[in-house]
Amino acid sequence: MTTDTAAPAANQALEEVLLQHEVEQFYYHESTLLDSHRYEDWVSLFTDDTHYFMPLRRTMTRRQLHLEFTRPGEMAYFDENKEFLEKRAQKLATGTSWAEDPPSRTRHLITNVRITENTDTEMVVHSNFMLYRTRLKADIDQWVGRREDTLRRTGAGLAIARRFIYLDQTVLQSANLSNFF
Amino acid sequence: MKDTTSPADQLDELVSVERGEIDRRIFSDQEIFDLEMKHIFGRAWLFLCHETQIPKRGDFFEAPMGTDNVLVVRQKDGGIKAFLNTCSHRGNAVCRAEEGNVRNFMCTYHGWTFGLDGELVGVPGKSLFYKDKLDLSRYPLRKVAQLESYRGFVFATFDETAPPLEEYLGPTGRLGLDLLAERGDIEAVPGVQKFVVDTNWKFTVDNVFDYYHPQITHMSAFAVGLIPAPPEDFVDGGAKTESGANLEVPFLPTDLHNVVMVGEYGHAISGPDQDSLEVNTGTRDPFAWRYKPDTVAKLGKHGSRVAGHPHIFPTTWVTANGQLSLRVPRSPGVTEIWWFSFRDKNASPEQQAALLSNHIHFFGPAGMLEQEDGENWAQSTLQTRGLQSREIPQRLKMGLGTSEIIKDDGLAVIDAPINEHAQLWTYHAWREWLRNPTWEELRQRTVPGERL
Repeated sequence: MTTDTAAPAANQALEEVLLQHEVEQFYYHESTLLDSHRYEDWVSLFTDDTHYFMPLRRTMTRRQLHLEFTRPGEMAYFDENKEFLEKRAQKLATGTSWAEDPPSRTRHLITNVRITENTDTEMVVHSNFMLYRTRLKADIDQWVGRREDTLRRTGAGLAIARRFIYLDQTVLQSANLSNFF
Repeated sequence: MKDTTSPADQLDELVSVERGEIDRRIFSDQEIFDLEMKHIFGRAWLFLCHETQIPKRGDFFEAPMGTDNVLVVRQKDGGIKAFLNTCSHRGNAVCRAEEGNVRNFMCTYHGWTFGLDGELVGVPGKSLFYKDKLDLSRYPLRKVAQLESYRGFVFATFDETAPPLEEYLGPTGRLGLDLLAERGDIEAVPGVQKFVVDTNWKFTVDNVFDYYHPQITHMSAFAVGLIPAPPEDFVDGGAKTESGANLEVPFLPTDLHNVVMVGEYGHAISGPDQDSLEVNTGTRDPFAWRYKPDTVAKLGKHGSRVAGHPHIFPTTWVTANGQLSLRVPRSPGVTEIWWFSFRDKNASPEQQAALLSNHIHFFGPAGMLEQEDGENWAQSTLQTRGLQSREIPQRLKMGLGTSEIIKDDGLAVIDAPINEHAQLWTYHAWREWLRNPTWEELRQRTVPGERL
């Protein structure tokens, strides 16, 4: 019968859809935590050995485009382990972190989610983001870019074991990066 | 003051060293900004980059000089030249990358091509269209008037009459760069952070000397231990939160022991004394580089005590911790901040990583200190625009007139509790630059006096 051969393929397709759904829901949950200022809860989504990294980007000619991003060990905007992410979250909670008090209003939009590698324990997931921020009466900033994550399966669900963030700006058009990506 | 006259005609009223007052209009007035570009940035020696950023032939780095951009280029003979990034034909940029390596610079409008030395070497249609009548030697890229390095730090000026770099820096400016160069066999870490703040450049400069602000501005960084936790002492006077609670403002052992140095042309150094800083942090380890005998000798008896921030007029800040920041004026209300990071080539990978981590977490747009600074600068700038608000002067009165300037070992030194002397010195020099005097007049008017 045709179902004998079609069933495994259909099952595999269904599994992929379910996995895609799980990952997307994870990101939506993560975005909600950030946009509702629940930073310490957000940090708990990261593994203890996580690496959160945002390189610098430089305008280079096509011939030297392989050099446009800095690498770990070079200058970066973020180069964080879990402890530093926790410190940043604690700092925002002090009530004296003036660049975020009054807090800015953010919206994280996550799109183009693609699971590019998948093993039993970890996935590599690429996504695009737009972070829109308004601050005080009239400040508006927005950042568009892509993320390369390693998501790890843990007892408590998915966790971010690595996040590299690539912004689509060279000279940053904002006064700071006081939010998370 | 009446608005009918130009602020530029009222320099004496804009900055009063005697009263410790600065007119807010200098932070937003377009005419003042244009004068700054001409009389300060058109004349001063300006930092371009570090030699290690462009080690190989054809390496280039684009650097700002006032309203212009220059290409700093490693030459075939190992030397360094800098020229305006604008084609001698129709003006386009001949290079649109921030850094890289090239054999030539070709304008993408008509193909005029310039060598690494800025000479015009190729013109399409030189015979066919120009009939060989174009003298290529007459149309190089325009070079800066002078370019020199001090211990690997490359500076240039558009003024051919400017004194030599070392003389311009003087003992105070040289000490500032020595405090970075003496950290070892230093090289620039790849990558320069660049970001834009809606502020006037002078706010970003005077903040360098301000050791009154960290306890409040950076209170959250203290709270999470980014800065070593202060002792359980608090300053008097107090600050209260919006809900009426006492905000306990830390009192640091360094607060009563600051060292200020003021120099000709407006250079200055201000901040804690090294000994009291070590008492505060309880460690001497990060400062091992300072105690090598050669370094102690090089820094001198006063330089060895400096743990604060040196600044080279007009916009080059050498941090106390191995970084250099440029504050790049783009308009009266917009400033780019550039951060260069340095490391000792001979330090262990662990030591290099620890220092770089410190740089990334303190300053820059995601730095846990500078985020708050940027917020202050933007707010200060905003409030210079209200017709009524701007009538209120900026007040730099802390310790005003109370400090004796000791001239010793070639330096002009003040020992005092936290103060606003270096800020005021910067504005004093700024005013004298705007008068556009001769170099000798400028030097004489910026020789430190007896007191501040």
